[in-house]
Amino acid sequence: MTDITAVRNALATNLGTVSGLRTSAELPDNPNPPIAVVQLDTISYDEAFQQGLTFFNFTVMVIVGRAAERHAQRKLDDYCSQNGASSIKLAVESDKSLGGNAFDVRVEGMNNIGSLQLNDQEYLAAEFSVVVYA
Amino acid sequence: MYTHKENKLAKYVVTGTSVSFNGTDISDACARAELVINSAEVETTDFGSAGWTEVIGGLKSGQVSFDFHNDFGTGGVSELFADLVGTIGTVTLNPQGTTVSASNPTYTAEVLVTSFTPISGAVGDLATFSVTFPTTGEVSYATA
Repeated sequence: MTDITAVRNALATNLGTVSGLRTSAELPDNPNPPIAVVQLDTISYDEAFQQGLTFFNFTVMVIVGRAAERHAQRKLDDYCSQNGASSIKLAVESDKSLGGNAFDVRVEGMNNIGSLQLNDQEYLAAEFSVVVYA
Repeated sequence: MYTHKENKLAKYVVTGTSVSFNGTDISDACARAELVINSAEVETTDFGSAGWTEVIGGLKSGQVSFDFHNDFGTGGVSELFADLVGTIGTVTLNPQGTTVSASNPTYTAEVLVTSFTPISGAVGDLATFSVTFPTTGEVSYATA
């Protein structure tokens, strides 16, 4: 049986390999950017007999700062890159077993980028879709 | 009026099929399993068949087919099949788990491993492979 909390924590651990990026399992009311938030979206059970494989679809939201900041946009560009020290894709896939909790993990894409309003503050954020095979 | 429900014939959703090969349980690497048992049709139509064809059962045969998830880990299904092409192996199948009963019979068949596809899949896909093996000899059926 897959421990979803362990998977979520392992994703956060992988994201933590990006220097300076904070991580959180829940969307905070007052985020302190840059921060990556791991959210579980959907689960597809019974992808193999006897629960041998389950797909867990996560969204990793990376919040970089106030929407008006030019520096925030450049920071987000680095996070969205498919390579480089700040690449979210490389960070998430840095330990594909997620500490022994999964068979594989893949960042499928960056699906949304734009402003995010939290507590009357406007931030710049990007959402990455992540599939965990466990 | 008689119905199947009154007789408690249980329909079920396929999730717990048990698949083993040469004694190794590979259920958790398998996403589809099928066992087909056939009989040849031997035609016996004659002038007395009143315009209809007539057949009797001939030789029986069978085949199993599976969709697997590639797994090269120790004890994984890909490692299991790596050296078996051209050999005879034993397949056992149960509809729902390994507890054998009248409602969860064990089918056992000797099969010829005719192919193995160790590398398969497009970029971004889950690595899978499908196989179909002919049976050799009798396909047995046990309820205990």
